[in-house]
Amino acid sequence: MNIAVILAGGTGSRMGIVDKPKQFIDVYGKPIIVHTLEVFDNHPEIDAIAVVCLSEWLDDLRILLRKYEINKVKWLIEGGETRQLSVYNAVKTLTPECADDDVIVVHDSVRPLVTHKIISNNIAAAKQYGAVDTVVPSVDTIVRSVDGESIKEVPLRKELYLGQTPQSFRLSLLRLAHEKARAENNLNSTDDCQLVLDLGEEVHLVPGEKLNFKITSFDDLLLLKAVIKLGKTEML
Amino acid sequence: MLGKSFKIVEPRRFDLYLDDLVCAPDEAVVKIEYAAICKADLRYYLGARDKRTLGFKYPMNLLHEAAGSIVLDKTKRFQVGERVVLVPNIILKDKHDCEHCVCRRADLGENYCPNAFFASSNYNGFAREYVNYPVDYLLKIPVNLEPRLATFTELISVAISAYRRLNLKGDETIGVWGDGVLGYILSTTLRYIHQGKIVVVGKDEDKLRQFKAHAQYLAGDPKIFEEELQIAYECVGGRFSAEAINEIIDQIVVGGRIVLTGVAEEQIGINTRKILEKGLSLYGVTRSNKNDFEKALTLLVDEKYQADISPLLLKELVINDITDFYRAFEEELGNKRLGKNVLRFNL
Repeated sequence: MNIAVILAGGTGSRMGIVDKPKQFIDVYGKPIIVHTLEVFDNHPEIDAIAVVCLSEWLDDLRILLRKYEINKVKWLIEGGETRQLSVYNAVKTLTPECADDDVIVVHDSVRPLVTHKIISNNIAAAKQYGAVDTVVPSVDTIVRSVDGESIKEVPLRKELYLGQTPQSFRLSLLRLAHEKARAENNLNSTDDCQLVLDLGEEVHLVPGEKLNFKITSFDDLLLLKAVIKLGKTEML
Repeated sequence: MLGKSFKIVEPRRFDLYLDDLVCAPDEAVVKIEYAAICKADLRYYLGARDKRTLGFKYPMNLLHEAAGSIVLDKTKRFQVGERVVLVPNIILKDKHDCEHCVCRRADLGENYCPNAFFASSNYNGFAREYVNYPVDYLLKIPVNLEPRLATFTELISVAISAYRRLNLKGDETIGVWGDGVLGYILSTTLRYIHQGKIVVVGKDEDKLRQFKAHAQYLAGDPKIFEEELQIAYECVGGRFSAEAINEIIDQIVVGGRIVLTGVAEEQIGINTRKILEKGLSLYGVTRSNKNDFEKALTLLVDEKYQADISPLLLKELVINDITDFYRAFEEELGNKRLGKNVLRFNL
């Protein structure tokens, strides 16, 4: 089985909006999380979906799943305090019901422009390699600063990629990575691939797309609204 | 669901759109997998229509020859993953019994209904990742038919539509003018659905040699007259269509019937005096309907027919992004071979 784990546990503190988390913000008549879930729900290779969500928003999510007829969601899981804990909660929930070699496709709910191609490539590569990260080559030069005031170094651009999601894993590998991190009291990782690397395992790259950007600020929201031009131009 | 879509916004300019697909109760979501570029698409690409017409058309998704797979069908008619061809000529349910009443006529039909929508003409076409489409206008691709070859279903259905325009006995001698893709498909298809002799006339000897007709002639050959053509199809179009039609008028028997299939953007001059003298009839044909598509798919199941059609499939061009899409149009513009490229969408 291929299972999508959609992370919707964030509060959107960088957006300024106080009445709802960013994933529930409406974009052209649909909350962002619904745009994201629809891509996975309609993907022929995705068998089931787990959504990790803030506990106080679980009912709102249930209402949305009903309203927009999202049918593949089998698990609604309470989010943890950190991203790492949210994914770990999902791993714990899925373990008794899934096989060790099932593919887990972990995706941010606030990346609604993920495509079927990216998901298919994730699944195929995760089956082959066990762990994959979706990335785009960095077109900007990235500088490293430790103090935030001066440049420490300028890493070689051609070796740099920007990490997106999905990140996809064989369930057993993801579980092992999280258990090791917990045993070592490494509890605030923002990236599951890092945890797999800490195991000494390789993580392969899958090409992402610039449009698969994450909505974290108002600028991103503006960009998202600008790129979604609703196709209402038929000549009737 | 959001999906990528390429719309022509001005001559030689496509824009990337993200469309939100909202399915009506009688629609399914289809992922477009293969498509081919038609001459009409090239005219829109070049802007070779009058400005006012283009003003009403742009922005629009081009392409109407396509095959895809079902992503979602709440009507349950199709299974997820099933391969389908899309019939580009659609009539909304409440428009079937309109004042024109041609939909139920065997010699005309839905493709002549002024209320019909035609993808990539007065309705968005298939140059997109996904399309929500009425299930009544989706047809399952038989298992033994490659989906990329199924993109020819539309052109074959046009040939079938052109054939049914005349109520033929079946033994008439037919001439087909035109050594392009439609001429090839029509003359090949006639070999399967018509008993009489099939003759083709064209200008390119190499192309003519590849045709499956009983006889091939270069345009202007005096021997064409000896074939005693009772029926002739003009499949030339463009600026050379006048030349072809006038030759047909000269070569066809008295009382013959001529079917025009090619589009000429400019008004053309034809020899009306001779039409009158010989008592000829001229028929117009355009596009095809769902029944024609069904018959086309029945033909395409035949492996011998598949083998006859497949030489038309030139190259498979993979469309990973909009730059590949531009390249595919530019390549098709320069294509002088008999056949066309098939676009494989990998968006």
